[in-house]
Amino acid sequence: MTQVPESTVFDADIHAKATEIIGRYPEARSALLPMLHLVQSVQGYVSQEGISFCAEKLDLTDAEVSAVATFYTMYKRKPCGEHLVSVCTNTLCAAMGGDAIYKKLQDHLGENGTPLGHEETAGTPGETGSITLEHAECLAACDLAPVLQVNYEYFDNQTEQSAVELVDALRKGERPQPTRGASLTDLKSVELQLAGFFPEDEQFATDVDGPSAAEETLRGAKLAQERGWVAPAMRDEETR
Amino acid sequence: MTIAPENTETEVPEGHVKLVVDGEEVIAPEGELLIRTAERLGTVIPRFCDHPLLDPAGACRQCLVEVEMNGRPMPKPQASCTMTVADGMVVKTQKSSRVAEKAQEGVMELLLINHPLDCPICDKGGECPLQNQAMAHGRSTSRFVDTKRTFPKPISISTQVLLDRERCVLCQRCTRFSDQIAGDPFIDLLERGVHQQIGTAETADIHNSASHTSSGTPFQSYFSGNTIQICPVGALTSAAYRFRSRPFDLVSSPSVCEHCSSGCALRTDFRRGKVMRRLAGDDPDVNEEWSCDKGRFAFRYAAAKDRIRKPMVRDESGELVEASWTEALRRAADALVAARESNGAGVLTGGRLTVEDAYAYTKFARITLRSNDIDFRARPHSAEELDFLASSVVGTTPEHVSYASLEKASAVLCVAFEPEDESPIVFLRLRKAARDKGTKVFHIGQWTTSSVRKTFGELLACEPGGEAAAVDGIAEHAKDLDAALSSDDAVVLVGDRAAEVPGLFGAVTRLAERTGTRVAWVPRRAGERGALEAGAVPTLLPGGAPVSDASARATLETSWGLDSGTMPAEPGRDTAAMLAAAASGELDALVVGGVDPDDLPDPAAAREALANVGFVLSLEMRPSAVTEHADVVLPIAPVDEKTGTFLDWEGRVRPFSITLEGTGALPDCRVLDTLAVEMDADLFTQTAQAAWSDFSRSRVVSAHQGSNPDQHSRPAASTPDTPDGTVRLATWRQLIDNGSLQVEEPHLAGTARDAVLRMSAATAERHGVTRGERATISTERGALTLPVEFTDLPDDVVWAPARSPESIRSVLGAGHGASVALSGGAR
Repeated sequence: MTQVPESTVFDADIHAKATEIIGRYPEARSALLPMLHLVQSVQGYVSQEGISFCAEKLDLTDAEVSAVATFYTMYKRKPCGEHLVSVCTNTLCAAMGGDAIYKKLQDHLGENGTPLGHEETAGTPGETGSITLEHAECLAACDLAPVLQVNYEYFDNQTEQSAVELVDALRKGERPQPTRGASLTDLKSVELQLAGFFPEDEQFATDVDGPSAAEETLRGAKLAQERGWVAPAMRDEETR
Repeated sequence: MTIAPENTETEVPEGHVKLVVDGEEVIAPEGELLIRTAERLGTVIPRFCDHPLLDPAGACRQCLVEVEMNGRPMPKPQASCTMTVADGMVVKTQKSSRVAEKAQEGVMELLLINHPLDCPICDKGGECPLQNQAMAHGRSTSRFVDTKRTFPKPISISTQVLLDRERCVLCQRCTRFSDQIAGDPFIDLLERGVHQQIGTAETADIHNSASHTSSGTPFQSYFSGNTIQICPVGALTSAAYRFRSRPFDLVSSPSVCEHCSSGCALRTDFRRGKVMRRLAGDDPDVNEEWSCDKGRFAFRYAAAKDRIRKPMVRDESGELVEASWTEALRRAADALVAARESNGAGVLTGGRLTVEDAYAYTKFARITLRSNDIDFRARPHSAEELDFLASSVVGTTPEHVSYASLEKASAVLCVAFEPEDESPIVFLRLRKAARDKGTKVFHIGQWTTSSVRKTFGELLACEPGGEAAAVDGIAEHAKDLDAALSSDDAVVLVGDRAAEVPGLFGAVTRLAERTGTRVAWVPRRAGERGALEAGAVPTLLPGGAPVSDASARATLETSWGLDSGTMPAEPGRDTAAMLAAAASGELDALVVGGVDPDDLPDPAAAREALANVGFVLSLEMRPSAVTEHADVVLPIAPVDEKTGTFLDWEGRVRPFSITLEGTGALPDCRVLDTLAVEMDADLFTQTAQAAWSDFSRSRVVSAHQGSNPDQHSRPAASTPDTPDGTVRLATWRQLIDNGSLQVEEPHLAGTARDAVLRMSAATAERHGVTRGERATISTERGALTLPVEFTDLPDDVVWAPARSPESIRSVLGAGHGASVALSGGAR
């Protein structure tokens, strides 16, 4: 069996949390995705140690864990900033200004005339005000396009101007309130939530339980209702 | 006049379905894959990921066909390697469907987009499924005009397997083999989309922080070479063979592996008198299409620079000098005749001989030396073992226990046997049985080894030396195992380490009689089973009849053309006794064929015996600890340069013929035959063929085989208490270690498992050993220091590999079950 060197990175609390995650599933290996979020909540990325930690806990090989960690874009393989800024550049957001926002942020956060690349960090990873920038596939908010996320919390209807103001605030260590959902924390805290461990305060519960449909979300449905539009009936199976 | 009924409907047997493939009606067993059904009709659908011994994957999409179900065509072409037959299905392959043909061309074009056109320098070029199928099923030209994706090349995923990622078509045969067949998922698909690639934890692009203590595991598997062979493109290549030759320059010769008793069919490829590589042969009854890395890569010993090619004799100054065959044979004959007429000569044959060679040694001892002092067991052995071999092993064939019976067994119990290290193909079959057929595999051993884990097995842990008591305790303490063993198809496998445990063979025999289970013996070396059958033991004649049986001797005297009563009637000495007699002057000469003293129960005593005995004749390939003391050295041929037969652990006959002809190297049987002539005796073993036919004609089957009253009365020895401060040693050999047939192959050596000292955390604490440091085990004879690894061993037991890096018996003078001192704190 592969012997994992005694890790100084993952403390007793993380070991306990890992055990709790594994306990949620009938098969240990099913726990791999939340486990990877758990190790990401400690280091801000998935390291070789994190991979070995998961492999050891789930009786997998490092290769099997690496395969999963390198497949999903949500697992970062180098140290990230305090915040992760994801700009949607899928078709609708791109057309509505997402591409321009992404380019603007790249230039704005870059140094010495070199734009910041995908999954690159402005500032020193881990330090207050550091930002990792990425372009993201569909963030499921086309109605509010163009959107970006900070630590997966939404900032809707963005412009180049508002996006720059947002990252400038983050760089200064401020935590602007997202358009909806919970208050902004940092990437590591959110990773812990993704692993299935939520803050217990009431404010958090109220924030995440709030309404998720915006004015724009329902605009089409409202219009259809006013005008009496209905979707055509499903075609009969036989006529296909 | 009767008119035959018009009904031409073919009857569909139970469990079968009827479908139409390319307009032809065909009956197929339920669950058959379309690609196989087409194959049976003679239509080869192109494929890369499909492999009959791997689970279906549908990864490469090359095998698309058109399928119609219930009169309705499926909307898109379907992968015939994952779709099973169904009643009323209509299938059109590329033979009858332009849609299927075009789909296959399209997939091929896609696969070739990023595939480099480096066939002229690729190892696979000339035997490449991609090359061949692109010619047969692809478009003549590519429409792709852009730059191909490239990767840095090659990356080494272990010391012996290299990966050229741009050649890979992502069929996942390698990852599926490693996961499903070998149980070593150290290689996997990394990244996604256009970046998708095969890799290991080491090659994965993951930031390595400064605090990090170890990088990921490389592709460490005893079976990794198979991935090179089944790779349908040139993505995986062998470090040892890369760029060495082209397939069309090679001559292939079927061969049989000389390493362990698995008996693998191999294919040896040579060019201009030199073996370039070995591949697994295809033998469904034995190794299926697999081989272990040792069998595949460890063949360079035969081409070693220091190979002995001429006879040598020791001159007056004590130096070994080359001599003519006539002189060397004369010297040996004179000395052996003198020894025979005085105190006698003993024969140590080693476990690596073919049946023919072992038989020649047997005849040489009995006829020329007039002695039963012959033993093939160049390893720890016991009288109990010999009794067991005589009563339960000799004469058995695959009808008794075979690979197929392992696969069919409801339960298999491994006793003092570590399948993955000692007989890797038995291990693969056990894993297959457990994985696919639900066979329960039990292991009586010391810790949860990889063999236990990968056969989904259950460990019955006992102290080393306590195996006999554990077997006797099954009825009381392991009722589920006891019940499982009572079923008709259960099997018990005993390894050759059992000889180191007093009373174990008796316990196994009692277990077999009580439960009715069949017992098979799986020795480590390829030649052991054949040598037993050939009578290269002190108590048995060829065929297994006891030496003490006068009528058996008389029969043999007749077939060997000897005068009545000339065969020695007294059982001879075993290996240890011969060495002791040689050391004390009770034997005047030793004839030694392929024995490494470090393998013997007491290497120091063996060296002393070799140094002290009057005359040593060594039949060897390379200089060894025996040739150091030899008075005459006669060169003999390695397997590639001779014809012969091995008997595998099942008792299956594994004949092979010469691969490299005309090297002038002579097999042992020929050398002994000529030597015997010098001593006025005829062995009739000039060639392997002659030796085999003489053996077949002369074997005398034991009259009272299958019962051995001695075994029952032998009680299971209770393990003696370990003196204060000492621990009990468990040890066996790892597959890849410093064995003499593994020389000159650094790539293989790089995949050997680490030599570590294993113990439980409690044992470590008690003896002042801390995790991560090295610890020392010692006896009065010497000490061995190794890194420590915590394992689930019983308390006060340590495990160490028997010959990696050093022979534990040489260093400590102790083996499995011995008491050794344990101390920590070593740097």
